[in-house]
This record gives sequence, structure tokens and C-alpha cells, in this order.
Amino acid sequence: MNAFLVAATVLIAALAPLLVVASVRPPIDGLVALEAVGAIATLILLCLSVGLGQSTFFTVPIIAAVTSWIGCLVFARFLGRWT
Amino acid sequence: MQSADLAVDVLLALGVLAELFCVAGILVMRTTLDRLHYAAACTTVPAFLVLAAVLIREHLTSGGIQAIAAVALLFFLNPALVITTARAAHRADDPDSSA
Repeated sequence: MNAFLVAATVLIAALAPLLVVASVRPPIDGLVALEAVGAIATLILLCLSVGLGQSTFFTVPIIAAVTSWIGCLVFARFLGRWT
Repeated sequence: MQSADLAVDVLLALGVLAELFCVAGILVMRTTLDRLHYAAACTTVPAFLVLAAVLIREHLTSGGIQAIAAVALLFFLNPALVITTARAAHRADDPDSSA
């Protein structure tokens, strides 16, 4: 197990408190937690790509960064409209 | 242990610690805007520390360039998201405002 896999494991564990925030706090705070999850998930995928030594996996963090950004933007727009 | 491996370990440790600091900030802070401040920080310093570690290992191969693209997307797209979320939070606090 190399350093990148250890880093990915710790970052995956760091998602748990954000899950608590997203489920317990008001919706707008859940959105903030979701934004952080998107950023951390991108870094997790980056670490896994290096740690597993698969160069084909490097596309996945790019897709994750864009799709999580679009998803959070849609949530932010609708939350702003409906509250 | 070679110096490159040491640099990778140090940069990864700093990046992960900075991310944990941001998560703690989101968990502990009282107001939405304070939490948003820490969520926005997730895409700045920690992301670049992890990117530096990746580039030391991968150099400027296709994987390294794709890692640069992923972190650049995070860094340049996130401010728009932060502004939109802050406006939504402002409306949630004050529904009569036109922001």
C-alpha cells in the first residue's frame, strides 16, 4: 500500500463528517457539504489513479470535477429559487 | 528512501491534513457562510499540494497533464459555485432581498 492509497483512504474517511452535516443540518448547509464532497472526491480519484498505477483512470477525476460542479450549481440555483 | 519519495509523502500529508482542516471547519462553524468559506478552501491549497505530489510521481505525462486539468477545473470553476451558494444562503436568511 503506497502513500497515494493511504491518502485516498484517509480522504474517504473524511467524507463521513460531511455526510453527517448534509443529513442533519438545513438544506443550504447540506449543499455546502456536498460542494466539499465533490472537491474531495476528485482528489480521492486522483490519488487512486496514481496509487493503482493505471494511467487510464486519470480521466475519471476530470469527469468527476465537472459533473459534481454542475450538480451543485443546479442545487444552488433551485435552493435559491425555492427558499 | 529517495528524496522524491520523501517529497511525495510530505506533500500528500500536508494536502490531506489541509483537507481534514477544511472538513473540521465545515463541521464546527456556526453560520452557512463560514462553512462555505471552508468548503471553498478545499479546492485551493490542499488540491495544489496533492497535485504537486502527483506531478512529482507522474511528471508531465498524459496522466500528469490530466491531473493538472482536474485540479485546474476545481480551482477555476468553484468560485462561481461559491457565489451562487452564497446568494442562495443570503436569500434563505432574507427572503425579501433581491440578491
